[in-house]
Amino acid sequence: MPAKLFRSVSAFVFTASLIAAIQAASAATPAELQKARHDHYKELGEAFKAVRDASKAASPDFAALEKAAGIVDKASVDQQQWFPKGTGPEAGKTRALPEIWSKPDDFTAAQKMFSERAPKLLAAAKTKDVAAVTAAFKDVGGACKNCHDTFRQPED
Amino acid sequence: MTEGAAPAPRIRVWDVPVRACHWFIVLFVAASWWTAETKRMDWHRYSGYALLALAAFRVYWGFFGSSTARFSQFVRGPRAVVSYLKGRWAVMPGHNPLGALSVLVLLGLLLSQIVLGLFAVDVDGIESGPLSTYVSFDAGRVAAEWHEELFDALLWLIGLHVAAVLFYLLYKKENLVGTMLHGMRRFPGAQVTPVRTASWVRLTVGVVLAGLLTWMVTRA
Repeated sequence: MPAKLFRSVSAFVFTASLIAAIQAASAATPAELQKARHDHYKELGEAFKAVRDASKAASPDFAALEKAAGIVDKASVDQQQWFPKGTGPEAGKTRALPEIWSKPDDFTAAQKMFSERAPKLLAAAKTKDVAAVTAAFKDVGGACKNCHDTFRQPED
Repeated sequence: MTEGAAPAPRIRVWDVPVRACHWFIVLFVAASWWTAETKRMDWHRYSGYALLALAAFRVYWGFFGSSTARFSQFVRGPRAVVSYLKGRWAVMPGHNPLGALSVLVLLGLLLSQIVLGLFAVDVDGIESGPLSTYVSFDAGRVAAEWHEELFDALLWLIGLHVAAVLFYLLYKKENLVGTMLHGMRRFPGAQVTPVRTASWVRLTVGVVLAGLLTWMVTRA
């Protein structure tokens, strides 16, 4: 590679990575993090619906079921990163209650309940056993409710 | 009615299916409200299915039921409503032209509410109506939001309906609640024809059809 071309390519790569780094750093405003969290939970809601739909179907789409259960399982771990400090009601409209940050131990325990139960849903989906999926779904739903009862503002 | 004269005879106005429908709808609207407020979604679904069967039967009965249940008998144009309001409307068994409007709006709202509930999905994607598998998460959320909004409208109209009944009771001294319970009403100084009931066969067909529809919807 001629030296001139090498220099311009490296200059380009350097500039591009610099821009990317700046973007990454500036993307993390509390409002944006909050929005990202809401999007994640919407995706999770869609996945739950997909699991439920598949488990109720006359001939379940097990591929779709497993995919959705996989999204739920991944989210159950990822959601432990979705609540950085400063992304509560002070950052914008949200149903996330301040207790999330004032009672971190309780909140972590509630999140753990989800991440402990979600793998069982994925496992059940893999066995293609609809009754097991329905039972695991109910179990995971209980973990959702457990956390929401304390840490999510009720709907008005 | 003059002092000492025999009271006007009691005339049958509503048949049993109309009355049963009415009070079961009252019961299950209350149950649906309570189960939604207290987040008992399994029971909310069952209550909704009961309302679906009742509303479906009432629509059927509006075409094939007793004389006073039929839409063709009580749904009239705006001119009839005006003449009723001006007091130029002969008393007869069944809904008056204004009451007919209330029936149509209430029944229409109830049906819309039921259909929205069938497609509704909660924010977590965990609770949902039996037909929500046929729509996207977003569409189900829209149905759920409308399901919530429309209930407020339904409550207002129920309030209006009850206020009208109270107005009749206190101002016009007509106990419409009693009539909806026992089906009988007196018409002093008027010759009226009682309700013409429909046959058992028609009743059975209606009950079977409403049950079948509900069964198909819930297992869909």
